[in-house]
Amino acid sequence: MTATSRVAQTAPPAGRNLPTSASAKTATLRSRNRTDPTYYWMVVPVLALFAFFITLPALVGVFFSLTNYAGYGDWKFIGLSNYVNIFKDPAVLQSYIFTFVFALATTVVVNVVALAIALGLNAKIKWRTGIRTVFFIPMVLSALIVSFVFNYLFSNTLPVLAERFGVTPLATSILANENLAWLAIVLVTVWQAAPGATIIYLAGLQSVPSEVYEAADLDGAGSFRQFLSLTLPLILGYLVINVILGFKGFLGTYEIIVGLTGGGPGMATQSVAMRIFSGFTGGDYSYQMANAVIYFLITLLISVIQLRLIQRRGVSL
Amino acid sequence: MRAARSGNAPIGRRALLKFAGLAGAAAVLPLSGCGATPSTQNGVTTLRFMQNKPEVVAYFNQVIKDFEALNPDIRVIQDFNEGNFVPGLVRNDPPDVVTRGFAQATADFVKKGIFADLADMPVAATIDPKMQELISSWGQYNGNEVSALPFSLAAAGVIYNRDIFEANGVAVPTSWDEFVAACETFKAAGIAPIYGTYKDPWTLSQGMFDYVAGGSLDVAEFFSKLTARGAAISADAPESFTSNFSPALPKMLQLASFAQNGAASKNYADGNAAFAKGQAAMYLQGPWALSQLVAANKGIRLGSFPLPVTNNEADTKARVNVDMALSITRNTPNMAAAQRFVNYLLEPSVVNTYNEKNAAFSPLKDAPAVENPQISGLGASVKEARYYQGAGTYFPPSVPLNNYVQSFVYGKNGDQFLAALDDEWRRVAERTAV
Repeated sequence: MTATSRVAQTAPPAGRNLPTSASAKTATLRSRNRTDPTYYWMVVPVLALFAFFITLPALVGVFFSLTNYAGYGDWKFIGLSNYVNIFKDPAVLQSYIFTFVFALATTVVVNVVALAIALGLNAKIKWRTGIRTVFFIPMVLSALIVSFVFNYLFSNTLPVLAERFGVTPLATSILANENLAWLAIVLVTVWQAAPGATIIYLAGLQSVPSEVYEAADLDGAGSFRQFLSLTLPLILGYLVINVILGFKGFLGTYEIIVGLTGGGPGMATQSVAMRIFSGFTGGDYSYQMANAVIYFLITLLISVIQLRLIQRRGVSL
Repeated sequence: MRAARSGNAPIGRRALLKFAGLAGAAAVLPLSGCGATPSTQNGVTTLRFMQNKPEVVAYFNQVIKDFEALNPDIRVIQDFNEGNFVPGLVRNDPPDVVTRGFAQATADFVKKGIFADLADMPVAATIDPKMQELISSWGQYNGNEVSALPFSLAAAGVIYNRDIFEANGVAVPTSWDEFVAACETFKAAGIAPIYGTYKDPWTLSQGMFDYVAGGSLDVAEFFSKLTARGAAISADAPESFTSNFSPALPKMLQLASFAQNGAASKNYADGNAAFAKGQAAMYLQGPWALSQLVAANKGIRLGSFPLPVTNNEADTKARVNVDMALSITRNTPNMAAAQRFVNYLLEPSVVNTYNEKNAAFSPLKDAPAVENPQISGLGASVKEARYYQGAGTYFPPSVPLNNYVQSFVYGKNGDQFLAALDDEWRRVAERTAV
C-alpha cells in the first residue's frame, strides 16, 4: 500500500452497502438502491448552492459571450464574432503566454522550495515547532497585503540598498523593468504559496515509516540516494497533488499582480484573469466573457489531462 | 485503489431537480424585492444622490442639509461609492441623481439612454455653452438631448513651485523653447526640472501624453474623424494615430528626459510627497494634486500654467475635464424631486462655492474670475475656451492606453506605440460596431 492510497482512504466510504452474508440473499436489490439519506442531505444543498451561484452565472456568461452586451443597456446576438476577434487580438494572446509561462515557472519553484523546507522541517532540528510556525505565517496573510508590502520593498528599500552597495542593476525597481517584473511576481507568489505546499509535503513525509530509512541505512545508501530512491517515490502522490493544485491556482493569478505591477510596466504582466476582469469595467463584457469561456475550456482540458495522469498513478483527489 | 468512487446509485434525479428548483426559487425571491420602487413615505420623497468624489462628502452633506431645510418634503441620501452605479443599472435600481466625471465611459451611458433629458430645465440656460459643448461633443442621445449639465470643470497644466522659479530667476514659460530653456536652467542648478511618477501609468497619460497631444493637434476633431472611420482604420490612413501623433512623440520623450532619476519606481503618492518637499520645480499634474501637496507642506507656494507645446503662444491650451457632471437617471420615479435638487445644486451659491473650494472652475456663464493663486494661471485659458479634453479620456476603457504610454516612455519606440493604438482602436471598433 502506498502512502498515497492511504490519503484516499481517509475519505469516508460513500454509501456502498457491502452485502453481508445474512442480508445478501433477501435484499440484494433493495440494498443496492437504498442509500443512507444523510449523504444526500450533505450533497444536495451544496449542489443547489453551487448550481445557483456558480453554474448558473457561468451559463449566463456563456450566453452573453454570443452577444454584444456591454454589461448594461441594449444588446443583440452577434454569433461567434467575439470568439473570432479574441483569436485576432495580440494583447489577449500575450496575456495567455505570460500566464502559462508564469504558472509553469511558479509551480516548479514553489514545489522545489516547499519540498526543501518540508525536508528541513521534518528533520530532527532544534525548535522545530517554532520554526514551522514561522514558515507558515505567509499562508495566513492576505495575498494583496503581502504584495503591497513587497511592492514597497522592491520600489523603495531595495533600490536604496542596491545603490549603497553598488549593485547598479537593482538600483531602479525591478517592477519598472519590463523584462524582470515577472520574476518579482514569481518571487512573491512563491513566498505566499510555498507554505501551503510545504504542509502537504510534511504530511507526506510523516507518512513514510522510519523503518525504510533504517533498512536503507543498513544497506549503506547515502542521504541523497535515500531521498531520490525512497522519499521521492513514496511521496510522489503528494507531489502530484501539489503540482496540480498549484498549477491550477497560478493560472488564475490576479491579486498579487494587481498589488505589485497592476499589469505593467507596459503590458508585460497582464494575466488572463486581469484581462477578463477588465471587461466588467471596460464596457467589454461580452468580449471578455468569450475570453473567459475559451480560458475555461483550456483549463478544463488541462484538468482532464492531469486527472488522467493522476488516476494512472493511483491517486485519488 | 479508489475508495471514494463507489456507490453512485442513481439518486432520484427528478427529486433532485425538484429540490434544486425550489432552492433556486427561494434564493431568487428576496432578490426580486429590490426593483425600482417609488420611495415616498409619509409625503417625504427620498432621493438617492450618487456623487463621484469621496473627498467632498462633507461639503455635500452640508449642501443636502441646507436643501432639506428648504424642501422638507425631500430627503436626500448621499452615496459616494461610484462603483455601485453599474450594478445599480444592472439591477434596474440606479440612484436618482448622479454626478460623474464626464468622458468616454459616461458618454457610453448617454448613448445607451441611461439619463433623462435636462434641456428644458431653466438652469440649463445658465451654463456656459462652451462648457456644455464639452459634454455634447461626446454625442447626444436622440441627437439633441442634454443628458448631463457640467457642475465642475477641472483644468490641468503644469504645477510649479513658485519659490524654486523665483530663486532661479525663471519666469513662467509661454513657448516650448522657453519651457525647454527653463528645464535646462533647473538642470544646471542641480534641481530636477520635472517630477515623474511613472510607476502609476495614469500619471503618464494624463500628464505628458494628454498635454503634448492636446497642445499639438485638435484632439476633439481627431477623435471625431477617427470614430467616423470606424473599423476601417489602419496605420497608413490619414485619420490614424500614426499619421497624426508622430510629430508630437519626440516632445514626450524630451519631457521624460527632464524627469528626476528613478522616476520609474515612484508612484503618485511618492510624487506628491517629494514635490511638496521641493524636490523638483514642476509637476505635470492637475488640480487634484494641489490639496495633497499643501497637506504635505503647508508653506508651499504653488502655481499652474498650461504647458506650451509649440512656439505660437495662441496654441497654448489647458487640459480640462468635466470633473463632475449632473445627471438624472431616465427611469427615476422621483423626477420632480430630482429636478428640484439639481436646480438647487446649480444655484450660484452652491456651485460657485464648491468650485472655489476645490480649485476648479464653475460652469456658470457669470461665474466670478478665479482668484486662487494655485490655478489662476489657467484662468485665462478657461475663460477664452482655449482648452481641450485629454486625448486619453477618449479611449474606451478596454484599451489599456496607460500601459501603452508607459511602455513607450520606457522603450522609446514611437512607431510600435502608435501602431499598437491603431490596432487596438480598430479591434474595439470591429467588435462594438456589430
